Amino acid sequence: MHGLFRWSGKWWPGVIPFVILWALAAWTSTAPLEADLAQRSTTALKDTVLDKRRIAVAGRDVTFAAEAFSEEGRLSAVASVDAVPGVRLVNDETRLVPEAKPFVWSAERDVVRVTLGGSSPLPSSKSKLMEAARAMLGGVEVSDRMNLARGAPQRFDNAALLLLDQIAKLKDGKITLSDNKVTLSGMARELGGREAIAAALKNLPEGYSVAANDVKAPPYIFQAYKDPVAVTLTLTGYVPDNNAHAALVAAAGRKFFSEKVVDNLKASIGAPSGFAAAVVPALGALSRLSTGTLVVSDREVKLSGDALYEAAATQIRAGLGKEFPQGWQFKPEISVKPTAAPVDPTVCQQLFTDLLGKARIRFESGKADIVADSAGLLDRLIETALRCPNANIEVVGHTDSDGEEPANQALSEKRAQAVTDYLVKAGLPANRFTSVGYGSTQPIAGNDTDQGKAQNRRIDFVVR
Amino acid sequence: MAYLTTFFWGWLLGSLLLGLAMGWISIVQHGEGVSKNWKRWLAALAVVLVAAALSRVVPGRFGYWLDLGLIMFALYLCGCAVGSWLRDWVVSRSAPAA
Repeated sequence: MHGLFRWSGKWWPGVIPFVILWALAAWTSTAPLEADLAQRSTTALKDTVLDKRRIAVAGRDVTFAAEAFSEEGRLSAVASVDAVPGVRLVNDETRLVPEAKPFVWSAERDVVRVTLGGSSPLPSSKSKLMEAARAMLGGVEVSDRMNLARGAPQRFDNAALLLLDQIAKLKDGKITLSDNKVTLSGMARELGGREAIAAALKNLPEGYSVAANDVKAPPYIFQAYKDPVAVTLTLTGYVPDNNAHAALVAAAGRKFFSEKVVDNLKASIGAPSGFAAAVVPALGALSRLSTGTLVVSDREVKLSGDALYEAAATQIRAGLGKEFPQGWQFKPEISVKPTAAPVDPTVCQQLFTDLLGKARIRFESGKADIVADSAGLLDRLIETALRCPNANIEVVGHTDSDGEEPANQALSEKRAQAVTDYLVKAGLPANRFTSVGYGSTQPIAGNDTDQGKAQNRRIDFVVR
Repeated sequence: MAYLTTFFWGWLLGSLLLGLAMGWISIVQHGEGVSKNWKRWLAALAVVLVAAALSRVVPGRFGYWLDLGLIMFALYLCGCAVGSWLRDWVVSRSAPAA
């Protein structure tokens, strides 16, 4: 032992190469050691749920920063890093994820995207919500603005998933979950969507409630377009039910005598009250236009197009709104079609015959009151009469053979007079018209069938 | 410690061998050794450094380099001791024969 102590005095020259060796070891080993420790620390934290995790290694000291979701989780994460072999010190810069009070989560939908915002309790629930949103909204961009926070109410995930399902039913709007109170606003995508959302909200997890549901139903739209080129009337949009649907299409068939009715209507709930009472006269007004569009949006009726002559335009502008039920608005945008070129009386007669061959002027049964459905036909007759200003026209009434002949005679005269009055009211000079009734004396078809009788009940225009 | 030895056994072996060689040479080397006074100071320095390493007061990379240096130096000293003892044993065994 003494020798060892004596010899040790001569060991110092080896210190010089030792220092070089030490320096080399330090030079080459530091970076790999740090990388190895960083990797081992990361592996040790693999199963721990943390946010904003950052690991920095200097020598054998690990600086560990992260946000944990509970105090136990935080302590166990620090302990796991501390237990990594080779780690000398852990600089603990971990903290708890901030607590949100109130805990607010929201989903907002606009034209292009759905934005999820507010707080989410865990990274797993955040990604679950994002995935669910992408799956439910198929193709719509989903943007993630959620941050993480503690303090979520129980069963948060279930509630949020249910609300995401509702955002899919909105056209635009926002759903906010504040603690366990739900607030909804915006507009439903489809008619009935608002009711569907309200029904679905009944399935919210226990403890959750709806604070405000301001989801609006989309406007109830009905549209009719009269196309003079294709000679069609296209109906699109909604009707309240199948009965109203059938009634509306039948009314359109009566009013539009020469147009083919293209029916693209769908039955849906949510119609404003008095829907049929407003739409039927509006269709009547549309039938009087040469070309036009009728748009019924909730309780607003917009009619645009060209009337056949000035008086018709004035009548439609002033008259249609009065026929509507209370609370309905009428916005006419009626212009007048340029007057067609004058024609000679022969052509005029031909035009009258063509028109009256397609449809007949109809009256209340047994009376001389013209039915409103005939307004479109009468407007065309008036337009034609305006094109031959020099021709005198005889308005001739006929009936079928039912009933007593004197009564029929009187009825045919009254009906012819009613038509003449209508023409004069529309601005035509009274002296151009004479009204004549022939009762049932000039049938054009047999009076033994209903069809034949219907053909015989007629008004003819004869140019003199 | 176990981690360091497995990670850097090459460098540690190097310092052990360096120590063996130095110990081997030191027996037959002529010249001044380190004085007693110096030894005391050096021992005190070693104690301070070991204490610093154990108490982990030196932070980061410097702390690691200190640890590394101390382990390597301990092995160097072990090498020196074994080398000196072996050389002394060889010398003393061959001396009577000569």
